[in-house]
Amino acid sequence: MRRKGFFTKLALTNIRKNAQTYFPYIFASSAAVMMFYNMLYLSLSREVRAMSDSHAVRTVLGLGVWVIGIFSVILLLYINSFLIKRRKKEFGLFNILGMEKKHIARIMLIETAVTGFVCIGIGLIAGILFGKLGLLLLLRLLHMDAVFGFEIPLRAVALTVAVFGAIFLINLIYNVFQVHLSRPIELLKGSQVGEKEPPTKWLMALTGAAALGGGYYISLTVESPIAALYLFFIAVLLVIAGTYNLFTAGSIAILKLLRRNRRFYYRTGPFIAVSGMIYRMKQNAAGLASICILSTMVIVMVSSTVSLYAGLENSLRNRYIREIQVNSVGTVPAEIMERMEQAVADTVEQAGITVHNPYSLRSVTEITLQDGNAFTRLRGMTLGQADDIALLLLVTTDEYRRHEGVDADLSAGEALVHVIKGNIPGDMLDFGGYSLNIRGRVDLPNMMDGFEGQQANLPGRGYVIIMANEQELLKIRRALNPDREPQPGFEFSYYFDTKAEREAQFELVSALNSRFGELGLPAEASAREKMRDDFLSMYGVLFFLGMFLGALFILGTVLIIYYKQITEGYDDRERFAIMTKVGLSRDEIRRTIRFQVLSVFYLPLVVAVCHIAAAFPVIRKLIGGLFGMTDTWLYAACTALTILVFAVCYAMIYALTARTYYRIVR
Amino acid sequence: MALLEVRNLKKIYTTRFGRHQVQALSNVSFTVEEGEFVAIMGESGSGKTTLLNILAALDAPTSGEVLLAGRSLTSIPEKEISAFRRDQLGFVFQDFNLLDTFNLRDNIFLPLVLAGKSYKEMSARLAPIARTLGISDILDKFPYEVSGGQKQRAAVARALITHPRIVLADEPTGALDSRSSDELLNLFGEINRQGQTILMVTHSVKAASHANRVMFIKDGEVFHQIYRASRSRNEFYQQISDTLTVMATGGGRDAS
Repeated sequence: MRRKGFFTKLALTNIRKNAQTYFPYIFASSAAVMMFYNMLYLSLSREVRAMSDSHAVRTVLGLGVWVIGIFSVILLLYINSFLIKRRKKEFGLFNILGMEKKHIARIMLIETAVTGFVCIGIGLIAGILFGKLGLLLLLRLLHMDAVFGFEIPLRAVALTVAVFGAIFLINLIYNVFQVHLSRPIELLKGSQVGEKEPPTKWLMALTGAAALGGGYYISLTVESPIAALYLFFIAVLLVIAGTYNLFTAGSIAILKLLRRNRRFYYRTGPFIAVSGMIYRMKQNAAGLASICILSTMVIVMVSSTVSLYAGLENSLRNRYIREIQVNSVGTVPAEIMERMEQAVADTVEQAGITVHNPYSLRSVTEITLQDGNAFTRLRGMTLGQADDIALLLLVTTDEYRRHEGVDADLSAGEALVHVIKGNIPGDMLDFGGYSLNIRGRVDLPNMMDGFEGQQANLPGRGYVIIMANEQELLKIRRALNPDREPQPGFEFSYYFDTKAEREAQFELVSALNSRFGELGLPAEASAREKMRDDFLSMYGVLFFLGMFLGALFILGTVLIIYYKQITEGYDDRERFAIMTKVGLSRDEIRRTIRFQVLSVFYLPLVVAVCHIAAAFPVIRKLIGGLFGMTDTWLYAACTALTILVFAVCYAMIYALTARTYYRIVR
Repeated sequence: MALLEVRNLKKIYTTRFGRHQVQALSNVSFTVEEGEFVAIMGESGSGKTTLLNILAALDAPTSGEVLLAGRSLTSIPEKEISAFRRDQLGFVFQDFNLLDTFNLRDNIFLPLVLAGKSYKEMSARLAPIARTLGISDILDKFPYEVSGGQKQRAAVARALITHPRIVLADEPTGALDSRSSDELLNLFGEINRQGQTILMVTHSVKAASHANRVMFIKDGEVFHQIYRASRSRNEFYQQISDTLTVMATGGGRDAS
């Protein structure tokens, strides 16, 4: 017993003997170590720190480190608890054969030390090798030049070793406690006692269906992005609750209904499958529901980050209809506007740039609450009013004529209306007591040209109101804002293309801004290309993180399923042995197993795809409203592609798992 | 013609690396006639279970032959073996082998469901058997809800419901208390009187004394056999007991 190396030898033999369950654990741990190190490396690396606006990128990467760390803890603790449950019998036997608990603890210590060393070692080596690859990928996504050289930040290595060392230590302590608390007889016996059939919980099944229906209803009916933002989390919570309830109670209710149908039930396939599934669902419903939700989150995360990245151009075009934008800050009187125009013209000329496709607009924006044909100023709001928010763009007949080339002979108290989104009933408009007659409804093909994307994502409603002159306009503004006198004038926008190089555009923008500063003009110029850089670094790093975490979550999902299947394989072995004796043929066993494994495996995926389909409208509105990505087809394509990749990974693991399962049962 | 005919059965197990060979059955021959109730006795390791597994077509003999109603088990192709087992044989095991996931009725129906019978037919077949075995009232219960004796009676019902040519029972009283054992053995007698052929492996003298004939196996061979004929059960019990004593103290052919 005290022979030197005895415990080490025993520990190594144990690991080898349990290869079927230990190998995936080692694999998962190594992968987690690698990913953690990689993310940490990126957030600390010289190249990323050297970026122009590295702060946002590093924040996102730092967030990634946290997510990977927390997920690793959960995943490895879960797998470990599974491993120790399977091995309790083995330790019970050691105990009965005369090994004291402290000896068992020592074996465990050696086992953990060996696995920990191997996992952290492999993970770090792989992490260092792939770290550079990850960096190149990230730089590529951010459209930056790759740098040569190799770097191993010691801080990243030390932190990785510390975090995963701690995880392995926690696992060891847990395992020692598990063995310490149990008595050998219990360790040996295991759970041979027949389990009770789960009762049908109709109430739970129905509330589950209701919660899921509610969540879906919100997603499918929500109109404005603002409401979507508020309601999204409620919908997510409802769907999560619904999924758990339906998996736990709904599945059993359905299976029991199937069992009651004698004609269906008393046939070889359904007979074995339905009865088995009732028990299986009892033990696995929560796990399957978690897998389902995890899969949904992975797919949503990856597809939205991918589509944001891929839809960058679309977001940019929606925000900037021309290369250069000049906007006044607030409303300014006519003479200031003229000075602004002059300042722009002078600066452009000095820079030797020709203006192409100029677009200008003098308007006043008011954000109101609409009630029928009455508009009042928005003073805070409740969730129910989110869809009643109305954006009013007030312009004069001069502006209308300038854009559309049509005269509108309006007198005071009259207006033309253009509906961007929404509906104004009747032929009157009321603004906090001041009324206008609607003389007609018009199209504004020129004035609104290029704003289609913005309009599609307008939160609530939007109208353009054309009035006789500036005095009329001021009357409305006074009626809407009775407590303070509005500043007269218009908001001034001037947009144009330059057909110049990026750098020339940047120079022009800074020249414009300094000119505005010198002349004391309240205006700001900005360039689409500058925005592109900002978007690119933000979306690029989000995309990178999405892929990275997606891969990690898929790994987690797959491992959880793998271990579930193995557990079930051991449970089912007995059942299939009995059925063979009673006359179930090998082919029938194979077919039944296939059906059971398939259903357990693909049920979460199928439900996840349903969730995603239902969530599609609300997420589309969110990424449209928040990020200005309005290309629905692109988003649909990204989602479909993500689901496809996910399903392929899933199918590969299925093939592997089903084989292992069949080998155990046979 | 005998219902079951076993000819020169030999079974040798080879250990994994082929170094050691263990002879479980060396040369077993016997016949069972239609309507007989035969008990096979022997100590642990005598080859009883191996014999039963071969009779059940769960294991193949190294040499020799088993004929059921004139048909050789080894000649049945792999594809049909499950159907054969299901239709021709009924099994009763020491540890019942009921499935936890089914109630007793569905456990009993299992072989019929596998054979593709309709619910109506299954119900019709079950009713008289359940009455004989006294389990009509507990058919809706699950195995964990009933006693060992009740479980074993359900297992007997499952064996009988296919109207098998022969019922193979492996230590059917092994996990039962004495009262349940008596009840079960009386039931075996009862169904045997109704014409059911039964082959039972046991090392309980009491169980064996319910049979019409007892075969003794030792070291992989049929060592001896005795018929009950017109003897009372007590007399038969005494005779079995005596035979076992003789075997254990080294009488007969195998003097060790």
